[in-house]
Amino acid sequence: MDFDDTPDEAAWRAHVRSFLEHHRGEHDAARAWQATLYEAGFVGVTWPVEAGGRGGTPMQQAIVDQEMARLGLPSLVNLIGIGMCGPTVIMHGSDRQKERYLQRLLRADDLWCQLFSEPAAGSDLAALRTRAVREPGGDWRVNGQKVWTTLAHLADYGILLTRTDPDVPKHRGLTMFVVDMKAPGVTVRPLRQMNGDAHFNEVFFDDVLVPDAERLGEAGDGWRVALTTLMSERLSLGGGGTSIGPKPEAVARHVAEHLGALSADRQALARQELGRGYVAALGARYTGYRQLSKLSRGELPGPEASAGKLSGTRSARDLTDLAVRVLGADARVAATGDGDRTWPTMQAVLPGMAIAGGSDQVLRNIIGERVLGLPAEPRTDKGVSFKESLHEL
Amino acid sequence: MNFDLDQEHLDLAGGAREFLAASASPAAARAALEEGAAVRPGRAELVKSGFATITIPESAGGGGGSVLQLAVVAEQAGRVLAGPSLVTFARAAVLLAGDSRLAGLADGSLAVAVADDDGPVLDAIDGDTFLARRDGALVCGPGTVTAREPIDATRGLGDVALGETVVLAADAADRWRRGERVGRTILAAEGLGAAARLLEMGVAYAKQRQAFGRLIGSYQAVKHLLVDVYVEVEQLRSLVWWAAWAADRAPAELPLAAAAAKAAAATTLEHAAEAVIQVHGGIGFTWEHDAHLYWRRAKVDRFLLGDDVAAFDEVARLAMEATR
Repeated sequence: MDFDDTPDEAAWRAHVRSFLEHHRGEHDAARAWQATLYEAGFVGVTWPVEAGGRGGTPMQQAIVDQEMARLGLPSLVNLIGIGMCGPTVIMHGSDRQKERYLQRLLRADDLWCQLFSEPAAGSDLAALRTRAVREPGGDWRVNGQKVWTTLAHLADYGILLTRTDPDVPKHRGLTMFVVDMKAPGVTVRPLRQMNGDAHFNEVFFDDVLVPDAERLGEAGDGWRVALTTLMSERLSLGGGGTSIGPKPEAVARHVAEHLGALSADRQALARQELGRGYVAALGARYTGYRQLSKLSRGELPGPEASAGKLSGTRSARDLTDLAVRVLGADARVAATGDGDRTWPTMQAVLPGMAIAGGSDQVLRNIIGERVLGLPAEPRTDKGVSFKESLHEL
Repeated sequence: MNFDLDQEHLDLAGGAREFLAASASPAAARAALEEGAAVRPGRAELVKSGFATITIPESAGGGGGSVLQLAVVAEQAGRVLAGPSLVTFARAAVLLAGDSRLAGLADGSLAVAVADDDGPVLDAIDGDTFLARRDGALVCGPGTVTAREPIDATRGLGDVALGETVVLAADAADRWRRGERVGRTILAAEGLGAAARLLEMGVAYAKQRQAFGRLIGSYQAVKHLLVDVYVEVEQLRSLVWWAAWAADRAPAELPLAAAAAKAAAATTLEHAAEAVIQVHGGIGFTWEHDAHLYWRRAKVDRFLLGDDVAAFDEVARLAMEATR
């Protein structure tokens, strides 16, 4: 047992680290920064060489992520494209689509978004209603609405999951497309999140024409295509190498700075809360190392990787709550007397973490059914057409 | 990175599981509680198996193995509520390092227990040689043991009145602390095994019991309860491995790792026991069912080697110190 890189991994890490340290000042221009990293071979590490990638291992990707995090560098502007849209094009796209899109995506010449969730289809994604209807010429006319679409306001392209056949069971009547976000009939409306940021959007499709050549996979096979997208997401996130919320060390430092201002009984309480949150965070971190060890051996992350996100959101919320609490009376307002907004901002971000990318409840179902082998909840939408499943409501 | 057990550890776990499943059981734990029967496998069998003496150097007649190896075995011991605790052997091996009595621990001629500063002592009941601290010195001697009414009889807790002692080391502070930390690691490993076994019991029952025309494991209220236990158990497993690795390879990380493992074991085993009794409903609350024997283990172990509150406090203090 060890926590060391293999010789190959160590060489790769040294290379990544030295490059990032020399170029770290360039990240403000987000697209140019991604292009710089692409030229260095750090973008699309796991993509095949013929798709413009490096043909590398998930472990090499995890090392790039770790070294970026080590320097506090922001994640890449086209992260969704790299992690989800691109791999879907690689697996299901035509040669023309691969030629046209992939290299530009990796260089951030084009930004991409993922158009899956809808107002009436979140955790139950296959209940989506955006309709794509085939025109006499073979192309498709799209009407409907997507929501929570990160980056849609900047994106050039998106992968779009639509319903093409409402007369078959809901998982069978879906079809995936590449859609031009600048096409006539596409309207993007930014949504403001509870923390005040506007990183995600509503996207409306009004009679948007999508050429049949932009279909990804067969008509009616969209659910299978979407599953490969979601699998790629799990792979791109690495085996729990990413962390959610604040670093526990940062919270410990912050609490240590404020502890002296508290009464003795409050100090003892703060240490209990710090200890509990810290143990949970260490538990998640070292469980993540077990996932990374699997990656390092060439194994793929399985459904048990969901446990890291589940516990990470919880401990991040507990630790952040403590960090806010030790601000004392300043905890009542959005910035401290000397203008520090770190912890009030963090506490307003975290509720979204327990929803995005699989809600806590959906993750518990996944672990319960696919890791522990517990039976699934009975469903009323199995074996009936999508249309009928709506009438049962 | 290779933060995982290797084949040698897995083989060791398999061997330990086979031995312990044949020589200890919840039924034996119940008999100890009901009739005062001796704990199983008991000292002699544990020593003879070689598992209890893994961390004693070969020169003293032990296995010359690692704390991680002992932790792997301790997980299996926890699954079947074995006694006496491997914590006792692990601490004694640290405290007796370099002393001739270590050979007695290894060959079973001495029944050692480690007496903390106050209160009932783990595995005192059948002990004949007690290690304790007197004014900063490590002392050793016989003692008179008074049994106390047990919650978990497998822990062999009794009050110890020390007889005539000899000083083994005048300033034993460092050695004592290392013994506690290795002990906390092994205690957490036993807790891991008990919690993992509880989870198996809960999952198996949820796949078999029906209510309102469905298996109860299909209800999210039940499923999510078990998933939360699963997540805690796997995180505890990671912390136990880290602490054991630190004990062997990175002593500077041991204080934090051992405190974190101890704290996580206390809360995880308790949550697992209470969740699994809940999943079973009425049958889980009966004397005949095994669940309460694990619940008893949870309720006692959290107060061994410092309680969970003390361990969380230590984690917080160490975490804050590290940022200075």
